[in-house]
Amino acid sequence: MNDPIFLAALALFVPIAAALFLLVAAPVRHRGAPAAGVCVTASVVALAAAVRLVFVHAAQGDARWTTTWISAAGKPIAEVGLHLDGASVSMLAVVCLVALCVQVFSVAYMHDEPPRGYGRYFSFHALFLFSMNLFVLAPNLLQAFAGWELVGLTSYLLIGFYFAKPSAAKAAVKAFWMTKLADMGFLFGLLWLFVATGSFEWTTKLAPEVAVGVTLLFFLAVVGKSAQFPLHIWLPDAMEGPTPVSALLHAATMVAAGVFLVVRADPLFAQADATREVMLWIGSFTAVFAACLALVQRDIKKVLAYSTCSQLGYMVAALGAGSAFAGYFHLGTHAFFKALLFLAAGSVIHAVHSNDLADMGGLRKKMPLTTLTFVIGALSLAGIPGFAGFFSKDLVLATLEGRANWIPWAMLMGAAFLTAFYMGRVVCMTFFGALSHKAEHAHEAPLWMSGPLLVLAVPSVGAGFLGGWLAHSLGAHYETHVGLTPIVASTMAIAGLLGSIAIYGRRRDASVAGAIERLDKASMVDRAWELGYRRALLGVSGLLGWFDRYVIDGLMNFTGYTTIEAGAAVRGAQTGRMRHYLVAVVVGAVLLALMGLL
Amino acid sequence: MSDAWFWLLAAGLCASAVSVVRSRDLVRAVLWLALGLLLTAGLYAYLDAPFLAGVQVLTYVGGVATLMVFGVMVTRRHTSASAEASNDSNAVGVLAALGVFALLATAILKTDLPESSAPTQTTAELGRALLDTYLLAFEAVSLLLLAAIVGAVVIARRRDVETRETRGSAALPSIRVGRTEAD
Amino acid sequence: MTLVQCLLLASALFSVGVYGLITRRQAVAMLLSIELMVNAANLALVAFAKYAGAPTQPLVLFTLAITVAEVAVGLALVMLLYRRYDDTLLDAASETKG
Repeated sequence: MNDPIFLAALALFVPIAAALFLLVAAPVRHRGAPAAGVCVTASVVALAAAVRLVFVHAAQGDARWTTTWISAAGKPIAEVGLHLDGASVSMLAVVCLVALCVQVFSVAYMHDEPPRGYGRYFSFHALFLFSMNLFVLAPNLLQAFAGWELVGLTSYLLIGFYFAKPSAAKAAVKAFWMTKLADMGFLFGLLWLFVATGSFEWTTKLAPEVAVGVTLLFFLAVVGKSAQFPLHIWLPDAMEGPTPVSALLHAATMVAAGVFLVVRADPLFAQADATREVMLWIGSFTAVFAACLALVQRDIKKVLAYSTCSQLGYMVAALGAGSAFAGYFHLGTHAFFKALLFLAAGSVIHAVHSNDLADMGGLRKKMPLTTLTFVIGALSLAGIPGFAGFFSKDLVLATLEGRANWIPWAMLMGAAFLTAFYMGRVVCMTFFGALSHKAEHAHEAPLWMSGPLLVLAVPSVGAGFLGGWLAHSLGAHYETHVGLTPIVASTMAIAGLLGSIAIYGRRRDASVAGAIERLDKASMVDRAWELGYRRALLGVSGLLGWFDRYVIDGLMNFTGYTTIEAGAAVRGAQTGRMRHYLVAVVVGAVLLALMGLL
Repeated sequence: MSDAWFWLLAAGLCASAVSVVRSRDLVRAVLWLALGLLLTAGLYAYLDAPFLAGVQVLTYVGGVATLMVFGVMVTRRHTSASAEASNDSNAVGVLAALGVFALLATAILKTDLPESSAPTQTTAELGRALLDTYLLAFEAVSLLLLAAIVGAVVIARRRDVETRETRGSAALPSIRVGRTEAD
Repeated sequence: MTLVQCLLLASALFSVGVYGLITRRQAVAMLLSIELMVNAANLALVAFAKYAGAPTQPLVLFTLAITVAEVAVGLALVMLLYRRYDDTLLDAASETKG
């Protein structure tokens, strides 16, 4: 059990085996509970393998196994396999851990689903775990693309899980459209890369202009997947999916795939300074912009969704500043505390049967455990010193020191303040104050739900102390120090928290939100996209439809009509009389022989 | 052996062949065929192929002709008047036969045929060739004969229930092809 | 008694077979015509063996065997035809008419 390749293969193939089994064995899937058992068992195996792999990797170092996938003219042009280094091994462990927590949480959370839906839900989860692991372990960009697209597919399936609900179906399609549009960038980037170098490797050396073009195309895909401005609009809508799905896909792992892609492809991005400049600005802007929007949301999940956009902005900015490790570190800690926040929010939603912050309040006494874990997640996200979020956010900010006249640094500092502020708002409105009407019958979540919360709370507090180890396994340098950035950042965080407590702690419906509401430009961005899609896409598709209906179909109909008419014309020759056929045979033979003679 | 034998056999052969195709009565036609095959056997003997002549008499005259007679007897119906060829098909037949003959004759006469008086295979050589050079073909033919026997039994076996149900062409489904919509 | 004469005789017999095949309407009679044609071909093969020294005699034996098989199956088909249409006129079986 010390073969790293075997362990990685286990983490990869056990989930897909579970998914395929559930796909084929419809009776198991339709009964619901057994499907959950299969899926959770697969995830337990995958997590065990992933954790073991972390230790094996620490002892044995990097490993790689590939086999030819596509070969042309005797030369392999694409490979598939497993690539194990510090980044993929730790990411694998994070993904498996969060996935297992979310699945266990779902066992109780989705309990009211009819058995068929329950089974379907867990089949998708198993498929997702495989897709994500396929992406994480990819030895080259082509396999990464395959995993990337599969992840997009499962995201679509899970957002639209309640497909009978029109808004959920619409949100699923919207998420699919937006991310597919962005994925075009990945595809064209791949093609360009292959044409230019004949390789799909992470570490290819490129000509400067090719490097900028290819990485810009890749970054377009990242913008879509990681919900950066202006393609972020699908993420808040994706909250239509079940809350555990939001925790796993749209907070912890899937949206982080974009960031992880840049981490993997760092050797490519390091050759393109222009792309990094773009990433720096887009990341910083998204961080502030999304934080502002998070401030005014009334839906607890949308607050967290915009918060995710904002935190992904931090990561992208760090990558733009050239520090893959900072971005990756924040990805890891964010995965834990954001999954925790979402699951705790799910627990609250489960208790009060509403997403609306106005329906909550005073839940502190009814749900002490949920309150405790949510507050831990919130403090971690806000970046209060000592919690995991503080260390990674501090590192991100530190890498931005002095870049571009300190402007991105200042923006992210502002975003840090806003983050603490809106988290304080959510905590105050949900758990403190007077007990709301809907919250009266709330009760603490069952063990199946609170267990994962407690498990995730541990790394949300302590993952920050793993920074040194993570840096070592990635071959980066990391140390904490007391300086300008940590002091300003913690001041911002504490100020934001205190400010929000001062405003929301006493009165629940503060009018401050009204003033910020005008900042809600999301609907405008939304509308711009909608218009663009409607004009451009419907115009083109209308043209194509006309062409298809009259030219293609006309051609087909003409072929069919001609065949029928020609057949009708010669059918008289078939008399059904043997003798006539014989004469034809003789005449044919004579004619053929004549041809030979003459 | 002189040419006279050849011409005699040839003349008899042609006469019996024409009788086979012109005879009104099927039993007679079969008998004419048997005669023709016997004469052919004689020609084989004339052409230095005594073994083939023997086989011809045994299998053809003894086997095939007998089988044919059985076939005729079993399926006999006394409507021989309607079984005769009409005049127009007669003309077509004559034309086709003449065409084929003209073609073959032209081909034969125009070809520069080899003339060698190499001794033909003796029966001993023939037997050796069959079990040596042509062994695979020999076995394949035996398999073919087996398949033919089994197939013939399967095809001709009487399936009473099914037969009665489908007797007469009216009971057969009429299949119409094409033009379904245009009509 | 030269090769040419033998081949011309075989051609004549073959043509007579063609004539019979086309004009006869009864299935058994058509089988007889086919026998004539096969016989003509065999004759040509034997003639080649005699005058051109070609090793065609084994071929004649194979032809005989195959013809016997053909007759057996053909007669079985005739029986089937008779049972189904109460007749052995092949014209009756014209379902394949277009």
